[in-house]
Amino acid sequence: MKLAATSRRVALALGVGVVATVSALVGTSTLRDGVALSLAFDLAFACGTFLSLPGFKWSHPVVFRAALTLLGLDVAIVTTRFLGSSTNFNLSTGAAMSIVLLGLSFLTGASGQISLGNGAFMGVGAFAMAIWANHHATTPIVLTLVIAVACGALVGLLLGLPATRLRGPYLAGMTLAFAVSFTFILSTFSSWTGGDSGLQLPTAAVAPRWLDGFFHAGTSPLITTTLYLTDLSIVVAGVAFFFMANLFASRTGRSMRLIRDNDVAAELVGVSLPRTRVVAFIVSSAYAALGGALLTLIDNSVSPQTYSFALSVTILSLIVIGGIGTISGAVIGGIIYAFSTNVISWITTQTGLNPQGNVASQLNGIIFGGLLILTMLFAPFGIAGAARLLWHRVRSRTSG
Amino acid sequence: MDPFLTSRIVTDVLGGLTNGVTYGLVALSLVLIWRSTGILNFAQGAMPMFATYLGFALLSYHFGYWPCVVACVIAALLIGGLTERLLVHRLYGKPEINPIVVMVGFLIVLEAVAAAIWSSTPRSLPSPFSSIHWQLAGKPFALSPFIVYEFATALVVMAAVAGLFRFTNLGLQLRASALAPEVSRLLGVRVGRLLTLGWMLSTVVGVITTILVSANFFSGLTPTVMDGIFAYGFIAAAIGGLESPVGAIVAGVLLGVVNQFVTDYVNQDSVIIIALAILVVSLMIRPSGVFTKSTQRRV
Repeated sequence: MKLAATSRRVALALGVGVVATVSALVGTSTLRDGVALSLAFDLAFACGTFLSLPGFKWSHPVVFRAALTLLGLDVAIVTTRFLGSSTNFNLSTGAAMSIVLLGLSFLTGASGQISLGNGAFMGVGAFAMAIWANHHATTPIVLTLVIAVACGALVGLLLGLPATRLRGPYLAGMTLAFAVSFTFILSTFSSWTGGDSGLQLPTAAVAPRWLDGFFHAGTSPLITTTLYLTDLSIVVAGVAFFFMANLFASRTGRSMRLIRDNDVAAELVGVSLPRTRVVAFIVSSAYAALGGALLTLIDNSVSPQTYSFALSVTILSLIVIGGIGTISGAVIGGIIYAFSTNVISWITTQTGLNPQGNVASQLNGIIFGGLLILTMLFAPFGIAGAARLLWHRVRSRTSG
Repeated sequence: MDPFLTSRIVTDVLGGLTNGVTYGLVALSLVLIWRSTGILNFAQGAMPMFATYLGFALLSYHFGYWPCVVACVIAALLIGGLTERLLVHRLYGKPEINPIVVMVGFLIVLEAVAAAIWSSTPRSLPSPFSSIHWQLAGKPFALSPFIVYEFATALVVMAAVAGLFRFTNLGLQLRASALAPEVSRLLGVRVGRLLTLGWMLSTVVGVITTILVSANFFSGLTPTVMDGIFAYGFIAAAIGGLESPVGAIVAGVLLGVVNQFVTDYVNQDSVIIIALAILVVSLMIRPSGVFTKSTQRRV
């Protein structure tokens, strides 16, 4: 019975895949585009087939998550080919931000701690990236990203050591002090960090040659580069999400959730409180550093003003609104970040506010702060949690 | 005159004490709320800031300094009480990150609304006393009438809080409801009202600090005037232990002096970095503060 269902699904997917391949080859103007598009379609259907197999989620969890990540990446990358340059730029910053959000979501959701300093950890990654690139311009991008992440993890370890012994408010306050002092730390080391003006990357990121011809043959290199950076951010975010999903489900992830729910019980069953807490803190700061480094790559420069305390607060608002402690909440938060500037300027024009006036310039704070309070009071797990609740309610109604 | 009084060290100590008392007051207001409700109020700088703007709005109706101060205190009582009744009230018994997040949100909203109404350009407040430093034998001495007024006010506030808690029936009830809310409720103490009162009291301590700070610093009153002072106040409260009012004040004053020496002998940018380092080290040695008796956490 189960086997029959499985083979029926595979057959269906094969059929749809053939149809998609043929229509992609016929519908596109060049053979190259057609092959690329049909490969993307087939990958999506293959992943979709795996995902829909009954019980597959529980029998092969890692393969399941890998297929889910591939499907998401596939859809996202194909979509970005057909979007405008400014939308793509927004999406790339959103992808970078979602990595940061994922780190904070993990820290809070898995170990019950909260950090108000993730904007500063982002800054650590961003500046590490820029400083390294300025001294060793030939290092490949991936390696520079790894170095930036290592710097973030190291600073996370330094601050995480006292954090292991701290409970909620003390940790929040300590990370707040770090976030507030970060810009001063930058200006103290101004010979490295470039002082108030920040740093430029020595060479702008350029799309590899083989990407040039796809879909938009003959477009300007600037547009191709934006597209390339967007896809790069999305791929890095995808890899980050894949690792995090596995970490959530691993032994470490389980012991962290136990600590969050009952730290005394966790200690009694042999979980090392300090070690687990410091691991959570390091993971969260490493993820923040990765997001910051990507942002440097996207902007091609880094400025100390970006990494003020306000950024840490923005990060906290985004993940709370998206859904703290959830993986999907980080995606939602990233999308909100990508388009928040557009939405707020839309609100400004719709309400007829003076764009240079006091109210318009503070709209961001009023909206985000207000949403932060309302979310925490009425839907503590944000949009992701509310959606999950709604889904369960609908399903229990239809089945019962 | 004695050249010692105008020496660099005495100047630094006095300058440090001037800043330190404001940190101590902020730390005290944080401890008041922490002890009664177990919430670290991240809007502890922003709520008094808002009250100060409201109170000093009377300036445009040609009122003097003292009526404005009274108006500020009334505004602080209202803001503190309303915040507890409408916002904080819903947070008791929730996981400990909920109040942190809500109060951070409240901080953003208050600062944004204040900037939207009154703009973020600094507004200078009148001062009842001159803040020009006295001279001793032709050299500047690090005290002025305003600084003396500031010290006196801080001492009066601290003494008033201590006296209220130690010698009055109300203070006894406040302490009882913080220590054992259930038992106090059984004994007829109206715990809910006392929690509101605690928030009102703490906001009043905050507003007095804000008035002093925004008249003393030449930066004036801005929506973000209390941000830095809140950070130092929190560091002081954490070093001293959030449980201990005396510890908070002592740590605040000492932190002010240390900061002044760092400013003078190192540079301005290093101040917050050194303060952060002190916080990290002290928390590693005594995670629940230097001045608290180490207590077992209830399971």
